[in-house]
Amino acid sequence: MSGRRSGPDAGQEAPAWPSYDPDGFYDELVGPGGVPRPAAEALWEHFADLGPGALNERQEAADREMRAIGVTFTVYEGSTGRDRPWPFDIIPRVMPSDQWHVIEAGLVQRLSALNLFIDDVYHDQRSVSSGIVPSELVTGSPNFRRECVGVDPPGGVWAHICGSDLIRDADGTVYVLEDNLRVPSGVSYLLENRIVAKHVFPELFRHYSIEPVDPYIGRLAGLLASVSPSTGDPTIMVLTPGVYNSAYFEHAFLAQQLGVELVEGGDLVVLDDDCVYARTIDGLQRVDVIYRRIDDLFLDPEVFRPDSMLGVPGLMRAWRSGRVALVNAPGAGIADDKKVYSYVPDLIRFFLDEEPILSTVSTLRCSDEESRRFVLDNLEKLVVKPANESGGYGVMVGPQATESELAEAAKEIESQPSRWVAQPVIPLSTAPTLCEGEIAPRHVDLRPFILFGPEGAYVTRGGLTRVARRAGSLVVNSSQGGGSKDTWVVGTTGAKVPNQPAASNESTASKESTASKEPAVPTHPDPDS
Amino acid sequence: MTETMTETTTEKSTDPSRDNDPANETEAPKMLLARMAEAVYWSGRYLERAECTARIVQVHTDAHVDMPIGEDVGWEPLLAIAGVDTEFGQRYPSVSGSEDRRAAEDDVVEFLLHGEDNPSSILAAVSAARENLRTARPVVPREAWEAGHNLWLNCSDYLDEAQSRKGRVQWLRRVIDGCQRINGILLGTMTRDEAMSFLTIGQNLERADLTSRVLDVRSENLHPQRGDDPYVEVHWMAVLRSLAAYQPFRRAMPARPQGGSTLRFLLQDDRFPRAVSACLTETRSQLKGLARSEEALDACADASMLVASAAVPRLTLGGLSEFLDEVQVALDEIHHQIDQTYFRPTFEGWQPQSAAT
Repeated sequence: MSGRRSGPDAGQEAPAWPSYDPDGFYDELVGPGGVPRPAAEALWEHFADLGPGALNERQEAADREMRAIGVTFTVYEGSTGRDRPWPFDIIPRVMPSDQWHVIEAGLVQRLSALNLFIDDVYHDQRSVSSGIVPSELVTGSPNFRRECVGVDPPGGVWAHICGSDLIRDADGTVYVLEDNLRVPSGVSYLLENRIVAKHVFPELFRHYSIEPVDPYIGRLAGLLASVSPSTGDPTIMVLTPGVYNSAYFEHAFLAQQLGVELVEGGDLVVLDDDCVYARTIDGLQRVDVIYRRIDDLFLDPEVFRPDSMLGVPGLMRAWRSGRVALVNAPGAGIADDKKVYSYVPDLIRFFLDEEPILSTVSTLRCSDEESRRFVLDNLEKLVVKPANESGGYGVMVGPQATESELAEAAKEIESQPSRWVAQPVIPLSTAPTLCEGEIAPRHVDLRPFILFGPEGAYVTRGGLTRVARRAGSLVVNSSQGGGSKDTWVVGTTGAKVPNQPAASNESTASKESTASKEPAVPTHPDPDS
Repeated sequence: MTETMTETTTEKSTDPSRDNDPANETEAPKMLLARMAEAVYWSGRYLERAECTARIVQVHTDAHVDMPIGEDVGWEPLLAIAGVDTEFGQRYPSVSGSEDRRAAEDDVVEFLLHGEDNPSSILAAVSAARENLRTARPVVPREAWEAGHNLWLNCSDYLDEAQSRKGRVQWLRRVIDGCQRINGILLGTMTRDEAMSFLTIGQNLERADLTSRVLDVRSENLHPQRGDDPYVEVHWMAVLRSLAAYQPFRRAMPARPQGGSTLRFLLQDDRFPRAVSACLTETRSQLKGLARSEEALDACADASMLVASAAVPRLTLGGLSEFLDEVQVALDEIHHQIDQTYFRPTFEGWQPQSAAT
């Protein structure tokens, strides 16, 4: 089919959705004046051809399919978990590939530096002795694992799988908001979204060059095999806390896609030879690589929390002796807290001797007296976050806080300044989203996944776009009503629809004079934690 | 469009002793977790239980219509076949034994389809099959899990429809079709590996068990003294139909369906996949492909011998119920051996401190 309009409306120049107004925020698909961005032109026109009725039918079909193929996430109400169908908005977010490749290089650069930093933390601590980071950042962190000191994981890689949260400012600048180096989740939804999107808009996949997301699984399999301590074909397993974990769907999905076993702690045993074995129908079988989806502190009751029923006694012993590989390595979480975040540009310069490719949100450490004074004086304009947490817990959003919340935050900061950091409020970009039958702007973020092994790195093409479904809301996580979108990284030749001009390049640094009326605030609780 | 590998700048090089040369590729070690084996085994059992129960209720509804008022056997036999007469009695104390058959039909059928206090209801079996397929996702085809999940969605979504006799027929059809769809997917797409063996064994043991239960309960209502009664034939036709065996029986047996010929067919015909002996043959052939299966194979051989030894015409005159009890005990023994050997193994060479998890 062609993207050309037909029928009585053909040739009209009115914008496809006259009512669509991003309201001063940067919109991912629609530029100033309601004109679609080059990479999104064909898509936008196609939607106008379809009209709201057909779009809504396709949304319903997508909802049915998500439900039918059993893509769920677990919501906890009290102690009982309930499986909910995964919320998926059919309107994709489109990103030109040249723009994406800059982001990709920036993410790999970041993860390279973070891995060097983690390895340094557990060895010489050159970054401390050279004055790049203060020693209390390392040894004073609750995420520092003494048990990891001196360990040499294969290739010196600690954080093999990273999910980074990206946001876009009102002027179009992309920022890294957070790196998740512990057990980042969401990649299964990214892959399932694409499967459903192909069924929803098969005609668009014919006209657009959309970069595939499927290679992730093969790359992940290669990465896991590459860290095996054994020669020959490695035995790889995914370790899950069990069916009651909120990310269990993903654990099962990944094991199935990788073609490996999904194990719980009770399926594994560490013997006196410091090797890990699985209880199989044929007896005990040696395990080489464990893609663990259990937090550090639950991994091994012999070393960490003795009450953990999820882990495997002796697992740390096996890992330290190099007889099993753990992905991600224990202790990697030292590099993903808010305070380390503020040092990442310095770490990139120190370890790689390069300038950071991606921007970070400027972060004030309240332990610094001058910064603290500024933060206390401007609380109502800032976002205050706990320094050692990953995810959105304990976040205080100044512009939305009540007087008493502000006073409480000020008290906390003054009594324990080193626990807190503050950031300016970033007005999150929006993307067109189907809301009650209409297309309306909703705030989005983006979580790409980065694989990093001794043999190279790989970044998903695009990522999981999370969208706040309530108007004006900035909460994108699914447990609080957030939805998701497929993310299309499209070739710079753009849509190959007749009469469509090739999409022009759009750089990450593209600036637009848009004044945000209301400040948006990034809050991104991590679904796994 | 193709992905690129970006060179990284780690300071350490790959361990040179590791050998990932593709030329050195060996076959991946065969491995099946004990927990996975158990999950696929129970997937098979629950799927079969759901399908068989649906067929039995379906056929009983049809046959009931054929019976003259006052001659029918009521709905209680269904509870006996499913082995839930006690649970039903607790749930509906006033209804059991009541003369009001219509009330009993609604209650019995509801109880069998989705009774909340009935752990063996069709919905409970479908739900348990789904849970086990979910656990077993890594070892079953994706489509099989999806089909199991869909069956459960459909059964739950259309529960209201099952209230009336007409809607019930459709609901039961959904269950049977859904189970058959999963069977088809497994047959057409699943690797014939150990996981498949456990699934097949689970299905066959459950099938043999249900066939023997149907025979047990249905034979209680046999009236040998009324041999010419046309309803005896209707009765045995219903028994055959409830096991999808009517047409195969017709092709295999020259005789009209009577107690003796039906029994022989459903117990001993090795070519019909729902006959007890055929289920045991299939179980044996699957067990042979598994390591350490000696004890389970012995139990299987004992059961086969018992079934083959049945003196069928004489059993119809007496002792059938006792004989079928023995068959069920023999089937339980096979399950017990499999359970002990594969699902709850104790391995030699475990240090006590390591094994205490």
